[in-house]
Amino acid sequence: MPLIRKPSTATSTPSSPPAADAASALFLLENGTDDERWAAARVVSQMTGGVAALAKALVGERDRRVREAILTSLARAATPESVQALLPLVRSDDAQLRTGALDALRATKDALRPYLPSLLRDGDVDVRLLACELARNLPAQEASHMLCELLDHETEPNVCGAAVEVLAEVGGPEALPSLARCADRFHGTPFLDFSIKVTADRIRLESTRSRE
Amino acid sequence: MVSEEEFQRLCEFLYRRTGMVFTEAKRYYVERRVVERMKATAAGSFVDYFARLRSDAGGEIEHFVNAFTVNETYFYREEHQLRCLTGDLLAERLRGKPPGEAIRIWSVPCSTGEEPYSIALWLLENWPLVDQYEIEILGSDIDTAVLERARAGVFGKRALLRLPPHVVAKYFAAAGPDAWKILDDLRESVQFSRVNIVECAQTRQYGRFDVIFCRNVLIYFDDASRRVAAENLYENLSPGGYICLGHTESMSRITPLFDVRRFADAIVYQRPAGGVGG
Repeated sequence: MPLIRKPSTATSTPSSPPAADAASALFLLENGTDDERWAAARVVSQMTGGVAALAKALVGERDRRVREAILTSLARAATPESVQALLPLVRSDDAQLRTGALDALRATKDALRPYLPSLLRDGDVDVRLLACELARNLPAQEASHMLCELLDHETEPNVCGAAVEVLAEVGGPEALPSLARCADRFHGTPFLDFSIKVTADRIRLESTRSRE
Repeated sequence: MVSEEEFQRLCEFLYRRTGMVFTEAKRYYVERRVVERMKATAAGSFVDYFARLRSDAGGEIEHFVNAFTVNETYFYREEHQLRCLTGDLLAERLRGKPPGEAIRIWSVPCSTGEEPYSIALWLLENWPLVDQYEIEILGSDIDTAVLERARAGVFGKRALLRLPPHVVAKYFAAAGPDAWKILDDLRESVQFSRVNIVECAQTRQYGRFDVIFCRNVLIYFDDASRRVAAENLYENLSPGGYICLGHTESMSRITPLFDVRRFADAIVYQRPAGGVGG
């Protein structure tokens, strides 16, 4: 019976060996080849000045793979500094970068929390819409509270629609008054009427079941 | 037994050490393991046990991690991916591979060894070219207790249920009332090692593989750890290499680094041979 093979002595080398020290990594992040920038991006967040270097590198990085590594490192750092580096990108015209930033922000979890209320009040409709999705990852009651507040003031039906979609997952009975007020304000907007009705029905049903 | 605050602290600790995330919904599951470990260490209270855990007295962190990992598996699980391996993946990998270069396959996490041994069995039984190539199969797991069992190569009837009887007869020997031991030749064909796939310093040392089986583990990680693990696995794949996930998992939801490849038997993910696609 063949197939016996001891551990390879010719094991291929890793694709991107890490830089030897912090100074080298920070230098390579800015000046290295694609592979070197990728490797540097994966390690510098744990080094002094690393998050700032990642934030700077992200703005000019054109290689998609390296950009992903930078986004992951910023997400894993999950500090106010890393969140602040990511936030401007949700306004980017580059759809890939915008989506990547959104995914990375979602992964920062608690670090994002202090910024969400202002994102939900942002002057840019698209930012408010994306912020609704980010709220999904908060503890249910906190997300519900923030989204109800938005529903009570929001003027754009598409943003309300995004909030209602998240409330369908995280909302409890406390969301029903805001949903009702929103439905009144946007009466005659068919998709929102429907969406609010489905969400409110689901919340009422769950509420009834939990009391039984 | 464990207060809300204690549960949070415990979960944070588990996250920091392993990248695994347990929410309130998993509280019962977590508490059961804590009770097990409290009994095993004769800890009088959760506070006592947590102090022991944080100080890693008696290697408790490793015992703790072992208690939390899910180790139930069986031979030829998700057989369609094995069919895909011999039906499509290996042929693609062999194109352009320098003569004499080994085919490297990584099963991570490998639990008690059913998956890497299944790969070896499947190749022997279903790949006509098996004798023509050097094939290296590595099984890795974070849990040292399951690795010991994997190395021993002894399995119960339940683990063997999906194997055709002639395969069991050919590659196993009875080792007790409900125990079959895999033949030594085959056992020696698979190497085992401990690795935490969230730690790139650990994963890097294994070099590049042609195919990685990484099934049903990423689901336990939170978003950030999942991304890190995916990037580590990307580094461990040769350009053009493949990664097979569990049937409920999707690499596309984690990272855009991989291309999706649809074959007759399975959907797998591929490290692009060149740069990352647009």
